[in-house]
Order: sequence, then structure tokens, then C-alpha cells
Amino acid sequence: MSENKKYRSKSGRERLTRTIIYIFLTLLCVIWLIPFVYLIFQAFRGESTSMVTYIIPKQWTFDNFIFLFTKTNFGHWYLNTFIIALFNAVLQTVIVLCVAYALSRMRFKGRKFLMNLMLVLGMFPGFLSMIATYFILKLFGLTSENAVPGLILVYAASSGMGYYIAKGFFDTIPKSLDEAARIDGASRARVFFRIIMPMAKPIIIYTIMMAFIAPWGDFMYASLITFGHEEAYNVAVGLYKWLDKEHISNYFTIFCAGGLLVSIPITALFMSLQKYYVEGVTGGAVKG
Amino acid sequence: MAEVKLRNVKKQYDNGFVAVHDFNLEIKDKEFIVLVGPSGCGKSTTLRMIAGLEDISGGEIMIGENVVNDMEPKDRDIAMVFQNYALYPHMSVYENIAFGLRLRRLPNDEIHKKVCEAAEILGITELLGRKPKQLSGGQRQRVAIGRAIVRVPKVFLMDEPLSNLDAKLRNQMRAEIILLRRKIQTTFVYVTHDQTEAMTLGDRIVIMKDGYVMQVGTPQELFNHPANLFVAGFIGTPQMNFFDAKLIKNGSKYTVNVRGAEIEVPDYICEKLNARSSVPENVILGARPENLLIRPAGSKNTIKARMKVTEMMGSEMHIHADCGMDKDVILRVQTADLDEEAQVELMARKDFEFSIRQRTINLFDPDDGRNLAVENAVPVPKKAETAVNTDEFDKKKKKDKKKKS
Repeated sequence: MSENKKYRSKSGRERLTRTIIYIFLTLLCVIWLIPFVYLIFQAFRGESTSMVTYIIPKQWTFDNFIFLFTKTNFGHWYLNTFIIALFNAVLQTVIVLCVAYALSRMRFKGRKFLMNLMLVLGMFPGFLSMIATYFILKLFGLTSENAVPGLILVYAASSGMGYYIAKGFFDTIPKSLDEAARIDGASRARVFFRIIMPMAKPIIIYTIMMAFIAPWGDFMYASLITFGHEEAYNVAVGLYKWLDKEHISNYFTIFCAGGLLVSIPITALFMSLQKYYVEGVTGGAVKG
Repeated sequence: MAEVKLRNVKKQYDNGFVAVHDFNLEIKDKEFIVLVGPSGCGKSTTLRMIAGLEDISGGEIMIGENVVNDMEPKDRDIAMVFQNYALYPHMSVYENIAFGLRLRRLPNDEIHKKVCEAAEILGITELLGRKPKQLSGGQRQRVAIGRAIVRVPKVFLMDEPLSNLDAKLRNQMRAEIILLRRKIQTTFVYVTHDQTEAMTLGDRIVIMKDGYVMQVGTPQELFNHPANLFVAGFIGTPQMNFFDAKLIKNGSKYTVNVRGAEIEVPDYICEKLNARSSVPENVILGARPENLLIRPAGSKNTIKARMKVTEMMGSEMHIHADCGMDKDVILRVQTADLDEEAQVELMARKDFEFSIRQRTINLFDPDDGRNLAVENAVPVPKKAETAVNTDEFDKKKKKDKKKKS
């Protein structure tokens, strides 16, 4: 009887702790979600375009979205961003995976030095080299109206430095697989594409996602390299302009509508590939 | 189907560690060569140099008529079976076996024919549609062998192919490799650290230690006439017993005195000793456990010993005994030779006497460990030298690992 009581009291205490934990987590969730919910509601608000102190709109409308595509350059920006992200996703994935594979499998002089150098360089914030990058791109004529190819170049060129997660993953694939394939008659390139790539799906997907998302939300480089040339803006730079003092009262709800549209592809991508993302990040750690 | 020649092959790593020193070997066509030795002796490195997976620091490797030093693995016409099977996990068994043929752009129907033939030889036809992870260890190893035999390579390399299998399966696969070898007549180079595999599979065995070749010979030669103390100790379980002994010359004959027992040296050893310019007085006498025979008390030329442990193995009994030396002596007694009463009586005994079977003894030079009756025997590498080397190597390895992590 007394034991039974002990059990019950224990489970009661547990239930209490659990309830507290759940309340805490729910609160956190709500706090996290408020800005997003606010953004959605504001995007559909019809009664005014300026900032207000309440959340739920009095009048619902699609006008903000229609305005975005008919009266502003938003369509342009969206397309620019999409092109940059797409190209970067392809280029960066190819570069990162090749660099990571080479560093994981091949032994050459200066390999360690190169790896350390890239790691150290990666620790410096990217904007340190912004001015130099700008002038180099300007020499090639890849700024202002040509900022889209310029930005693709900037993002893709430095991407090899982000090799370590992919290298960690490749390190967990036994070397003897490469050796077996080489003896079977495959060249290094064929080993990479026929044997290693099919096994590296999680890391490929992880790399694609990262390569797509980074330029999608980039503000700093994009604002510098487009340099006030409105047609060449990406979404981040374009939308941010509407938060200026002189624009904010006329464009706030439109800004929210734009923000909502920007988040859609990223959210969709993330949700559909979430499973692989986790595998990609933890793959190396768990197996190694 | 080709000869393989290794001439003065050397492997030195960037950190200065020499894994293989001056390796010389001529492997005949269709010969089964086994490289055996303790871990870190350079046997796998040698195999990988033949395969082209490791660069050669010096010397020359020939497969058939070609020097292959700088040839890519794929151009050497070799096949290799790895310890961890190295099957391509995303491909079916069929595609695993067909991969090498596809890269050589064979027509599809020919690939199909060859894959089916190879699968039949190995009894894995019904597994062709499966993925490697759906197979057991033995089946995976069979697929790995199938992938190698399907191309009919000039040389077949195997790197400890059975060490990932459990003991029972290992015995079974060992027998299958012997059968396979009869079916596909080609040159085999097989690496193992297991002396049973070496003895049962090899036409000739190469014993290595610390990157040096200790002896090359048939299993029988290695067992009966080990070239030095290392080979003598490495081949055979339980290990050979070593006694300090004095060599006494008697005209053209010799006798050895081991702890008071006089043993006549066999004629063939006497001949070799007579041909030598100098004969050491102190020698080490080697006798295998089965060649120590228990004698009734009071017999002539016996060595007295005190029983320490008896291990009943079923068909035989191992007796560990102390006869006043640093190391225990091990005797192997066939239980079938004794009735049960005698077995019990033997196990209960405290002191006993044994003699050494005269014709089976081996005599070694105590200075360099060489067998006095084997010509061109290689001395055992000095421990101090190699120990320092490997220690340094280990330290460096650890450092590298630390750096990596």
C-alpha cells in the first residue's frame, strides 16, 4: 500500500514537472511565432498601409500582393534572388563537394596547411573583404546593373572554404570503397560520381540547401554590389528600402506581403528536405 | 595468369618510417603466395603496392612482362578482395559484380553471362537481386570474391579476406577458397595474420617482420626448418620450445647437451655444421611441443620437469611445465595414445621426465637467431632498432590523429 502511494506521489511530481516544462515550451513557441503571425496578418490588412499597434486586421484584402507585382519592382527582385540562389546552389554544391572529397581522399603536399588556412580565413567576417571585392567586380563590370552575375561569382567563389561538414561526411565512407572501384577500373572522377555521390545524398542535399538559402537572405553584399541600382536588387535589399522613414507609412503592409512571399520557397525547401538536413549535419558525428 | 616479380621493393612514408625494406620475391604463374606476419610487419603495404594503391619508394614491381611501378591500379589487370568487403552499398549484388565489366564497356549480354557464371561458382545466384546490407558476412565476402573473379584478372589479391568472419565461417570459407583456386587457375597473393590460413592455403609462404622478409618457403619447410627464431616461434601453436644448449664436437658428428641430456645432432645438420667456417659453442635448441616425449622415471638422457598446468583440449593435452628455465616448457600429448586411467594419472603427476625427439630438433645461433642448418637464413631484426622506429611512428600517428580531431 505504502509502495503504491510512493509510486503515485512520484508520478504526480513527474506530471507537475512535465506540465511546467510544457507550459514553458508553449510560451517559447508563442514568442517565436508572434512575429511571423503578425507578418501574415499585416500582409492581408486592408484598412491602411502604415504601422499599427493591433495584430488582427479590420479589413482583409489581397491588394498588398497585387500592388507588389503591379506597382513595384518586387517581381524583378524576386527573380534576381531566385536566379542567384539557383546558380549558387548548383555551383557551390559542385565546388564544395569536390573540394571536400579531394581533401578527404587525396594526400598531397600542403593539404593540412590548406585546410587550416581555409578554416582560419573562414573565421574572419566576410565583410572585411567587401571593399576589395567591390572594386574587383567593378573592374569586370559586374556591379550595379550587372550585379546578378557579380553576386553569383562572389557567393560561389568563396564556397570551397565551407568544406568541413562535407569532408567530415566523406571521411566516414570507407576508403576501401574508392580503392575497390579504382581496381575495378574506375578513374578518380568516376569513383566520385558513380560510387561516392549516390552514398552522399544527405550531404548533397544539405549543401544544396545551404547554398540556396545563404544568397536568398543576403543583404550586405547585395546592397553593396547593386549600389543603388534598383532593378538589380535582391529581395532583402529591395524590401529593406521600404522600411526607410519616408517609405514606411506607405509601404509597411506591402513590405509584410513581400516578406511572406520570400519565406515561402525557403520554408517549402526546408520542410521537404528536413530529414536529410539532420542526417547531413549529424551524419559525420554519429558514425565517426 | 602472370608472374609477379618484386625487386628490392621499398616503402618509406613521408614521416621517414620504413614499412617495407628491400622486398624480393618472384611469384610463379598460378602460384598461391601467402604473406603472413604480426600486425605492422608490412604485409598489407606490400600487397597494396602490388595493387597500385600505395606508391613505391624504391625498387621495381613487374606483373607479367610489364613494370607497373607508375601504372594506375585499373591498368594492372588485377583484382582485390578487401577485409571489409568494400561492396558498393547502393548497388545490387548483380551490379556490384558487373561494375568492373561495365567500366570496360562489355556488351550487356556478355556481362550478364559472366556475372551469372561467377555467381554460380560461388553459389550466390539467388542473392543477385539483393543489396549488400541484406546479406550476411559470409555472403558479402562471396560477393566480394565474385566481383574479383568475374574479370578473370592476371593476379588475384586478397587482404585478410576472412578476418571479419566468425571462426566457423572462416574455416568454411577457407575450404571454399581452396576449391575456388582449383576452378580459376590464376596467381594469388593472400595476406593474413593467421598462420592456419597461411599453412593451409599457401603454395609458398612469405613470413615478414618489421618490414623485413624472414623466410620464403613451402609450409613444410617453414614448419620443419624455420630460418630463424622468429619464424620458429611464429609458426605452430603452441609455440616451439627453446632450450639453451651446448654443442659438442665428436669427430664429424655433433651432440648437444641440454640441461644434462645428450642428444645426437641429426646427420643433415652435422653436414651443414661441418661446412661452416665456425660453429658456435652455445646454441639454442628448438623443439616443438609434440616432439617432447614423456619418459618413465630413471630413463637416460631425460630432462626433469615440474608440472604447472595441464590443459585438456579433447584430442590432445597441453602440459605447461617448469624445468628451471625462464620460460615454461610446453608438451603436447595425444590423448588417444593414453587410456583414461593413464590420462588421469598424468594430470595428477607433479614431477616427470621428458626427452626430445632427436630427428626433429633445430639449432639456432643465439647471437642473431639464425638456424644453423638453413642456408642464407635471415637474422632476426634487432629489437632495439625496430622498437624505436615503431615507437616513433606510433607517436607521430597519434600526433596526426590529434591534429585531425
